[in-house]
Amino acid sequence: MKCVFCGYEFSEKEGVGACKGCPMAKCDMIKCPNCGYETLPEPKLVKFFKRWLKSYGN
Amino acid sequence: MKFPSAIGKRNTTPQSHGPAGEDIEGLQKIVIVGNPNVGKSLLFNRLTGIYVTVSNYPGTTVTVDKGRCKINGRDFGVIDLPGMYSLIPITEEERVAKLMLLEERPKTVLHVIDAKNLERMLPLTLQLIEAGLPVILVINMMDEAEELGISIDFNDLEGKLGIPVVPIIATAGKGIDQLIGKIDQYVPILDKFQTSYQKGIESSIKEIESFLKNSYPISKRSVSLLLLQEDEDMQRLVKQKEGKDYDQIDGILKKTSRKYGYPLNYIIKIRLQNEVRKITSSSLAAGPLKTAGFKERLSRVMINPITGIPILIAILYLGLYQFVGVLGAGKLVNLIEGTIFGEKINPVITKFVMSNVPYRPIQDLIVGEYGIITLGITYAVAIILPIVGTFFLVFSVIEDSGYLPRLSMLVDRVFKKIGLSGRAVIPMVLGLGCSTMATMVTRTQETKRERVISTLLLALAVPCSAQLGVIFAILAGHPLALFIWFVVVLLNFILIGFLAARILSGEKPSFYMELPPLRLPKISNVLIKTYSRMVWYFKEVFPIFIVVSVLIWISQLTGVLRVITNGLEPVVNLIGLPDETARVFLFGFFRRDYGAAGLYSMQNSLTGMQLTVAAVILTLFVPCIAQFMMMIKERGIKTAVLIFAFVLFFAFGVGFVLNQALVALGLQL
Repeated sequence: MKCVFCGYEFSEKEGVGACKGCPMAKCDMIKCPNCGYETLPEPKLVKFFKRWLKSYGN
Repeated sequence: MKFPSAIGKRNTTPQSHGPAGEDIEGLQKIVIVGNPNVGKSLLFNRLTGIYVTVSNYPGTTVTVDKGRCKINGRDFGVIDLPGMYSLIPITEEERVAKLMLLEERPKTVLHVIDAKNLERMLPLTLQLIEAGLPVILVINMMDEAEELGISIDFNDLEGKLGIPVVPIIATAGKGIDQLIGKIDQYVPILDKFQTSYQKGIESSIKEIESFLKNSYPISKRSVSLLLLQEDEDMQRLVKQKEGKDYDQIDGILKKTSRKYGYPLNYIIKIRLQNEVRKITSSSLAAGPLKTAGFKERLSRVMINPITGIPILIAILYLGLYQFVGVLGAGKLVNLIEGTIFGEKINPVITKFVMSNVPYRPIQDLIVGEYGIITLGITYAVAIILPIVGTFFLVFSVIEDSGYLPRLSMLVDRVFKKIGLSGRAVIPMVLGLGCSTMATMVTRTQETKRERVISTLLLALAVPCSAQLGVIFAILAGHPLALFIWFVVVLLNFILIGFLAARILSGEKPSFYMELPPLRLPKISNVLIKTYSRMVWYFKEVFPIFIVVSVLIWISQLTGVLRVITNGLEPVVNLIGLPDETARVFLFGFFRRDYGAAGLYSMQNSLTGMQLTVAAVILTLFVPCIAQFMMMIKERGIKTAVLIFAFVLFFAFGVGFVLNQALVALGLQL
């Protein structure tokens, strides 16, 4: 994914790792390892529909 | 030397793609590393010609290109590694690149970076230098950088890094001769740049180094840093080499990890990034563009204070006031709260509960004045959700357009006066969504002074989205009142920041950032983001609103609510507000948006002047419980309590002065 603030490209895994020390870790936010800007990952429902559409297309 | 591998046992035979399958065994190696898409392969082709083999790294599907080149009559093997961002790998490609980099013991490592993205790519250079590898920094795509008006002082960069720096344009073959000359004459320089980390990390590095008795392919400092960052390959290698001593090293790693809230790889990464910023502050300059397109011109207009401030005001007016305030907090809330909940849902449930639940206290708990449904759920679903929903929609558009980094550049000068830098835009902007989360984000500020000032300003003068929407909605019919609210909050933000910057000593912040390009937001992305944020917010708000309703119900039953509001009433009366507003401020302490919803529900019983004063106090008023807890965690109990006490007295003090001033001026709001 790409940080909307600084444009840094990183994986969701790398971003989630940055939040390990936070007591609000359940908030699911992903922090950019470059600038600290936080954003939400794509919701599971959206991921499910994308996968479904892809398999339907195939 | 081979690393003990955790990769599968599959060992594929090298596939030759060249006419003669190059064997580079026994030759001195030149290894090319760098991020993907920086022109590594082009440089590889320039150095080797067409005689190339493409083979899989043992046990993986990752391919590695190998070739030969002749420099000054001597043959060298050239290896083009897969793209990598850091020595701490995430993908399989990165891991293979790291392993090969360490296994090949190269004569020279060519770190290829994109001249347009210097700051983003230099952290890997620092890691390579730290590893003691013979690095040459190859800055590619100089033509594209020049097109964008970027100029780089290579001598300055070379002096600071202590390694050769060569600019090239791989597509045109420019600079390749100079690069070959540097490879040929390469002499390791002893006075290389060394990144210094926090004291705790530095002492752990030294402790670990003292246990590393054997030889390693990279410096012991770099081995220690990789261990601290939980690099599994290095852990295996050190375990194998040091045997029993690894237990002591492991003890140091665990002890160091416990000291820090964030994982050490994150802390180290941030430090590297900060070091890069310092290095590039004098080596890198953005000059006038040669050919500025529409987006570039728009970008410059957004950053220039003369044109940027009117643009910011237009965004605030259209995006926040018109869309969130008038549409979201006005029309949508009227529809959902007034019609759907007020006339349909709540009367039906109230009637049902009254006729089926025999006990009065239980009736009150569900549908009473502070009931779970009539207050908690109504506030959460009918008032807050439409407001934050419209806010998140606007915010997603702003975010996806690439405006936020430009806002950072625009406010950087003003923020410097209040001890912050443009980087503080991140927590301030996130604070509009949730100040608790934003308080945690203040960790990413460079200096302690910045962290304290931004925590204070978040607690004092940055309203959350629901507060903001409610304030816009209730003051929408009173333009002068809205203007006064805006000016008072803004002045307080600047004044307190300015005073805090004078009182608190510490390093002055520096700020430099690469601007990602402006983009036209995609509707699908904006809708997905808005949806995910609403789900997130709802998941967080809904349970808290219900818990708060229950707490208020208990305090009402026990009489505690009466005691607290009685205590607050003289204070609110002193600033010209009726008794009922005491309840709003109390709600605001539980959650800012809960208080905002409370103010919204009693707006018809207040005058324009009272609404203005209440809106100012509610904005400045103490942080909610969650934010306060986060402040304790981040800044320590002493600083958190001091900020809390200051904000409490300051908010009511400003309310008192504002009320007196409005009365004295006789303004009709």
